[in-house]
Amino acid sequence: MNFHTSHRAVVAFAFFGYLVLTLLIAILPAESVKDTPGLPGAAARSALAEQGRVIYLREGCGYCHTQFVRDLPLDRPYGRATVAEDYANEDPPLAGTERTGPDLSNVASRQPSDTWHLLHLYNPRAVVPQSVMPGFPWYFEEKAAAAPGDVVVPVPARFVSTQGHVVVARQEARALVAYLLSLRQPEVQR
Amino acid sequence: MVLRRGQDPTLRPSAIADPATVRVTFEYLACATFWLLVGTGAGLLDALKLNWPDALAVPWLSFGRVRPVHTNTLFWGWSSMALVGLALYVVARTSRAPLWSPALSRLSLALWNAAAAAGLVTLSLGVTRGPQEYREWVWPVALLFAAGLVLNGVNAYMTASTRAIPEFYISNWYILGAFCFLAILFTAGYIPLYERGLGNVVIQGYYMHTAVGMWFTMLSLGVSYYAIPRILGRPIYSYALGVLGFWTNILFYTLIGAHHFIFSPVPWWLQTTAILFSVGMMVPVWAGGGNLLLTFRGTSGVLQRSYAAPFLLAGIVAYVLVSTQGTLEAFRTANVYWHFTNFTVGHSHLSMYGFVSFVIWGAAYGLVPRLTGSEPNPILVGIHFWLALVGYVVYVVAISIAGVLQGFAWVAGEAFIRSVEAAQPMWLWRTAGGVLMVASHLVFAVNLWAMRPGRAIAAMPAAPAVEASA
Repeated sequence: MNFHTSHRAVVAFAFFGYLVLTLLIAILPAESVKDTPGLPGAAARSALAEQGRVIYLREGCGYCHTQFVRDLPLDRPYGRATVAEDYANEDPPLAGTERTGPDLSNVASRQPSDTWHLLHLYNPRAVVPQSVMPGFPWYFEEKAAAAPGDVVVPVPARFVSTQGHVVVARQEARALVAYLLSLRQPEVQR
Repeated sequence: MVLRRGQDPTLRPSAIADPATVRVTFEYLACATFWLLVGTGAGLLDALKLNWPDALAVPWLSFGRVRPVHTNTLFWGWSSMALVGLALYVVARTSRAPLWSPALSRLSLALWNAAAAAGLVTLSLGVTRGPQEYREWVWPVALLFAAGLVLNGVNAYMTASTRAIPEFYISNWYILGAFCFLAILFTAGYIPLYERGLGNVVIQGYYMHTAVGMWFTMLSLGVSYYAIPRILGRPIYSYALGVLGFWTNILFYTLIGAHHFIFSPVPWWLQTTAILFSVGMMVPVWAGGGNLLLTFRGTSGVLQRSYAAPFLLAGIVAYVLVSTQGTLEAFRTANVYWHFTNFTVGHSHLSMYGFVSFVIWGAAYGLVPRLTGSEPNPILVGIHFWLALVGYVVYVVAISIAGVLQGFAWVAGEAFIRSVEAAQPMWLWRTAGGVLMVASHLVFAVNLWAMRPGRAIAAMPAAPAVEASA
């Protein structure tokens, strides 16, 4: 068998070699950690929060916000270090690779106000002037007057297109906030 | 020396190359260029959104939806189509045989165009598998791409097996290998069996890393091992180094995906393995990159005359730089400062643009005119080269500085928003670089059109013409 004259040999070695390496470095390790159980203190997500998670995926929030805290001094503001158990039942887990915005693993402890989150989602610059995050105005509605049961967002006048109108959170915005407020790290018993 | 279509009688379509193969290659390049314009338009839009976050506030143009459109369109639309179009020609030419089935590759091209279009629409609508980089396409879209991949792989394999010479040239090792690798890694990335919880993170590291290393890098090197000697008119510096680079690339590149999740709950041995083999990556990188660079030694005359050679040289230099940078980024100490920052964005553009796209352009300018007998305007090729080079250097330098500033702000324990403020001026420079890059692609589209196969190609008599053998 000569690699220089046998395409079969090259292709077979490359194919099976890569397949074996893939099994060893990716599939078997993944298999060994995939069933790590959740932490005892982890609360089940509400149906509304689960709906919010789908919107979080749809809008690509995970491209700029990690849910992956490292055991490093610079990650202290975001909570305790992430453990395997934190990703239990997450499909897909939203560890992430980039922080154009801060980590959200424990955002509910840091920022528990639903009004703040609604304002921030409507237009981040309403609460953080230097923010570059996109707003999601399509999950809100401008109305002349609020109807009973409406969740009115106290948007500063300069962010409302028609003066005198109120901004009301649609179901999607409320779901997204429910999801964000479900991001609270349970304690790890050591 | 400038040859122009219709003006110089010595410039004519290659009499050796099979016309059907040439047409397939050109069709791949043409479709790829369409996706290049779409994908980089999306990239520029997202760059602008970081400068003016309230502009175009509509769902399908929001940052988080455009980002996967940008990456996937350029990965699977532009880079894959262009590299495979060139690779199919390389396999056929180095096998001294026509493409086994041009029809099969046309079908694959249709499937890939359908996948890229469906991916564009679904991701814009928010139909996605979540931010799992480069596998955001939902499975029906991915299946279209996978079908085209298998058909093209079969076609390349059959072409090589009908070769008229005993030697199986090194380019074909890389090219046929790449088809095997992507088939495996695509399957591994989409099977849900072991993907729950942390298992998904393990697969994600492996997937996004080897997609670049075992598909785009392999194809780019395979095309380079043909295009560089062909354009310089001399053999590669060392055949043996090419072989060494091939096997060590398979061994080392496959094992280092976990370095995207350092300090994570991913098993510590997996992270350490990834860091160790990231150092090992210096072997294939310097074997391959050094080999190709040494092939350029003493060819400054060609570099001045040819407009393809500078693209290829810039591409190989970027390959060596980006891979060395990647090794450094993997170290835990460097990772503390650089991970999660824009530095990674600079790194990926240095690889997919500085290396992969420049190799594509060099090979296209070097090979296509020889096949079709139609040359682009050399001034426009020069404009393309300098716009692209200056554009991406500005881009990469600016975004890397932004990354360093972010990292320093975080390590200094400043409020998060300080890292945003620190990066903001650099994001303006990044956009400026991006504008030059997009402008260069428009010039490339014009140049590619000028290189299109003319009517002459079908009417060419089979009589041998004076043509340097490839």
